Parts: sequence; C-alpha cells; structure tokens
Amino acid sequence: MEKLLDLEIVSPTAKVFSGKIKTIIAPGSLGGFQVLFNHAPLVSTLNVGKLKLVDENDKEKLYAISGGILEVNNNKVSVLAETIETPEELNIERIKAAIARYEDILHRKEEGTDPEQIRLLLKLEYNRLSLLNKLGLN
Amino acid sequence: MATLKEIKVRIHAVKSTQKITKAMKMVAAAKLRRAQERITSARPYALKLNELLTQLLSTTDKIVNPLMEKRVGGNVLVVLVTADRGLCGSFNTNLIKAAATHLQSLGSSAQLICIGKKGFDIFKNRDVNLVESYTGVFNNLNIDLSNEIVNRIVKGYLNREYDRVEIIYNEFKSVMKQIVKIEQFLPLVRKEKSKDEKSKKLDYIYEPDVESILNDIIPKQLNIQLWKSMLESNAAEQGARMTAMEMASKNASDLIKELDLLYNRARQEAITKEILEIVSGAEALKES
Repeated sequence: MEKLLDLEIVSPTAKVFSGKIKTIIAPGSLGGFQVLFNHAPLVSTLNVGKLKLVDENDKEKLYAISGGILEVNNNKVSVLAETIETPEELNIERIKAAIARYEDILHRKEEGTDPEQIRLLLKLEYNRLSLLNKLGLN
Repeated sequence: MATLKEIKVRIHAVKSTQKITKAMKMVAAAKLRRAQERITSARPYALKLNELLTQLLSTTDKIVNPLMEKRVGGNVLVVLVTADRGLCGSFNTNLIKAAATHLQSLGSSAQLICIGKKGFDIFKNRDVNLVESYTGVFNNLNIDLSNEIVNRIVKGYLNREYDRVEIIYNEFKSVMKQIVKIEQFLPLVRKEKSKDEKSKKLDYIYEPDVESILNDIIPKQLNIQLWKSMLESNAAEQGARMTAMEMASKNASDLIKELDLLYNRARQEAITKEILEIVSGAEALKES
C-alpha cells in the first residue's frame, strides 16, 4: 500500500487544495519542516514563505503563503492559510509595482500609514516575487 | 372617468416599472448565487479553525489572551451589519428596529459601528454613539476590509473603550426568510465541551506552544466570524431583494390586467357612443 497523506488547504475565501499527497514542506514559525507518512500529531503556526507539496503522481506544487496554521493528525494534514497563491495566480508586474509603492511609502514616511503594516505587506510581496524567481518565471 | 389616452399612459408606466423590477430580480438572483458560493467556500476554513480553537482551549484553563477575558464593565459596542441599498423588502427595517430596541436596552453608554449605508443613514441622525461607519461595503465585498474592521474593533476593545462587542446582522435562512441575529463577538465565546470530546484528546506536538498558537488563532477566528456575518448578510439581502422584486413584478402584472380591462371598457363605451351618434344622425336625416 502506498503511503499517502490526505491534504486539505483552505483559506477564508476558497478551498485551495484537496487530495492525496506524498509529502508537504511548510514554513513553520520555528523553522521549516516536512511532514511524511505517519507523522506524529502536530499543530504548528506558519510563517510567510513557500509551501511545497508532492502529490501522488510525484508532481511538485508550490504556493506562496502569508502565514497560517498547519495541523497533522492521523495522516490527515490541514492547512489553514491566511492568503495563499499558486504561481499561476501571481502577476509579476503587479508585484513589482506593489513593492515599488510600498518602498516609496516607507521611504517618504508617508503620513497616516503604519510602517509596521507596510513592512509586513512588503514581506508578503517579496515572498511572492521569490516564488516566481525560483520557478524562473520572471 | 379617465380618458383612453390617460389609461394608455398609465399602462405604459406600469409596464416599464415592471421591466425594472424584473431586471432587478434577475440581478439579485445572480448576486445571490455568488453570495452563496462565497459562504460555501468560507465554510471549510471556519469549521476547521473552530475545531482547532476548541481543541486548543480544552488543553488549558488559563486565560492567555486579553480577548478571552470576561470583563465586569457594562460598556457595549454594537456592530450593525445592514445593506447598502434599499428595495429589499423589510430587510433593513426589521434589522434597524431590532438594533434600536437593543441599543435602548443597553442604555446610553452603548456605542455603535455601522457596516452598510442603510444603518448609517438612520442612526447618524439619532441620539446614539456612532463611533465609526463603513458604507459602500457590499458592492465590492472584500475580506481585507472585513479584517480592517476587526482590527479597529479589537483595538478599541484593548484600549478598554468598551467591555463587550456584539454583532447584529441578518442571517440567511432561505430566499424568503432572514433571521435577525445578535451574536457576541468579544470577549471570545468559549464553547462548553461535551465529555466525550474531552476524552478523545490527542497528544499533539504544539509548535511553538499552545499559548502562541492561541494568540495566533484568536484574531483569525474573529476575522472569520465577522467575514461570515457579512457574507450571510449579503446573501440574505440579495434573497430579500429577489423576493421583494418578485412581488413587485406580480403586483405590476395584476395592475396591468386591471388597467387593460378598464381600457377595453372605455374603448367599447366610446365606440357605442359613436355608433349611437351616427344612428341618431341618420334617423334625423331620414325624418327630414
């Protein structure tokens, strides 16, 4: 019998993935980790980063995730993502424009903006950009 | 008795109104379908999050987050979710009535946040503590805005501007039926767990630890709670509008039927009159 995990990735606006996988690599808040068959029950918070999974046909899938929670229980993995995107959903022009805009706001110390907040948004955009770079799609 | 022309004009007017109500009904139906899809896609996330939260809370009795702590003070913030537009039957009226009664029962210290233009329009002129309002929200319903509102509410709560937060919104039961709901938002509602739920507790690895995860999860739970209320309200609004417009179209049909009858009667009367005139004219000619 093949050793597969059930995976479900959900976000507040959509069910992103549902199916069988071989493994998943997630950006845990204490460092990245990998979940394989028969992993012990686990609940972990996730950082901004890349979520990588290998599905039952040995196909790799990458997502940009902006944080969330991952639960493993009895070979069922659930990922609750804040926001999550596939590379296909990302638009390099939009990301670059957003980065430029946020950098500009930070640089000019624009009034009425919270620098913490902007830095966070910037981090998310850089994460998306690095996902595209990794895939050589830029 | 109205003249033929007058009746004709009225029929025309009613017909064009009916065209509008029919179109609005179709638009509402399409929007309702989208709204329902959104509720369906938010559901798995909400369920899972709730499950996790309950499970985490069962591991600890400590109050690790100020958003969980019950306060003794009696200052209440009411968050009212209405529609942005009218023409949806008693959707807004019922909601506003319930909110007004509720605010009254809470006393003068109660504060109000309005989401949706209709509630704002009513309460801006009334003697209530309107602290914030968000209008034009439902045209382009967006989770970022919902999260922003939650941030605003939580900030005020942590600054002790109020000790309890409640949401009033219309829940979508069916296309015909909406239910006005008053839900506690803050402090976080703690569900009582049944015994067998406790017994199947597993030995989880918590990373980094239960408290940090709870602190991470609680804001998410609040976000999804408000988001869900807004989605429900949106679906309920479209449902109410659909029903209201259906009724309006039906009334217009009835009215057109009546006016048609009136028109035909008036026409017949005119013809009879004309014939009578001709006949009597001919008679007069014969006699002479």
